[in-house]
Amino acid sequence: MKATLAIINQMQADGVIGRYAIGGAVGATFYLEPSATLDIDVFVSLKPGHGSSLLTLAPVYEYLAARGWPVKGEYIIIEGWQVQFLPPGDALGEEALAQAIETQVDAVPTWVMTAEHLVALALQLGRPKDFTRILQFIEAGVLDSDKLDRILARHGLLAKWEKFGDRFLRNL
Amino acid sequence: MSDWMRRVLEGKRETRKRLAALSFSEKLLLLEKLRDRSLLIAASPLRQQQLHRG
Repeated sequence: MKATLAIINQMQADGVIGRYAIGGAVGATFYLEPSATLDIDVFVSLKPGHGSSLLTLAPVYEYLAARGWPVKGEYIIIEGWQVQFLPPGDALGEEALAQAIETQVDAVPTWVMTAEHLVALALQLGRPKDFTRILQFIEAGVLDSDKLDRILARHGLLAKWEKFGDRFLRNL
Repeated sequence: MSDWMRRVLEGKRETRKRLAALSFSEKLLLLEKLRDRSLLIAASPLRQQQLHRG
């Protein structure tokens, strides 16, 4: 994965992407025990194309394809990892990207979303595997509950959080 | 819950804690091993037979 991250950093240095942050299962692994995943979710800020206000992933695909990295559906295979580049879909995604924390993987710098943003995004997605991940975060005791509350309030997720609590945490 | 089951669950909790405490680099190496294993299982002839049977 170190080699994959080095390629993504090079894309950033070459101006193809702006800020980026690892989310999803790989992002969660920063805080939790590793759990099997086949892909890396990379949230990226993009620049509008020439003469257009539309944000598009086309330059990302073109850059990587020109360097021989194969495209497989919505993924690009970089150094053996399926990478999915995701522009933030809303204000929560943008905030998660902006507040990502810097870390290193064997001296390669990279950025990972905060635990609270990963939980808020998982809650927003609301698939069974997202709920499982939220429970893992709670059990691991790595969440700043005040910070999480503020994020959930800012992005209209408090009702969903309450529902989640009723369903999964009432009997704990 | 039996004592035996309690010990099993406690052991699992400890293992998860120990794994969570590893460095990000170490955890990513484990992720690579997990990924390789998942791909191997998905590609095994037994798995393929199961998929074809539906």
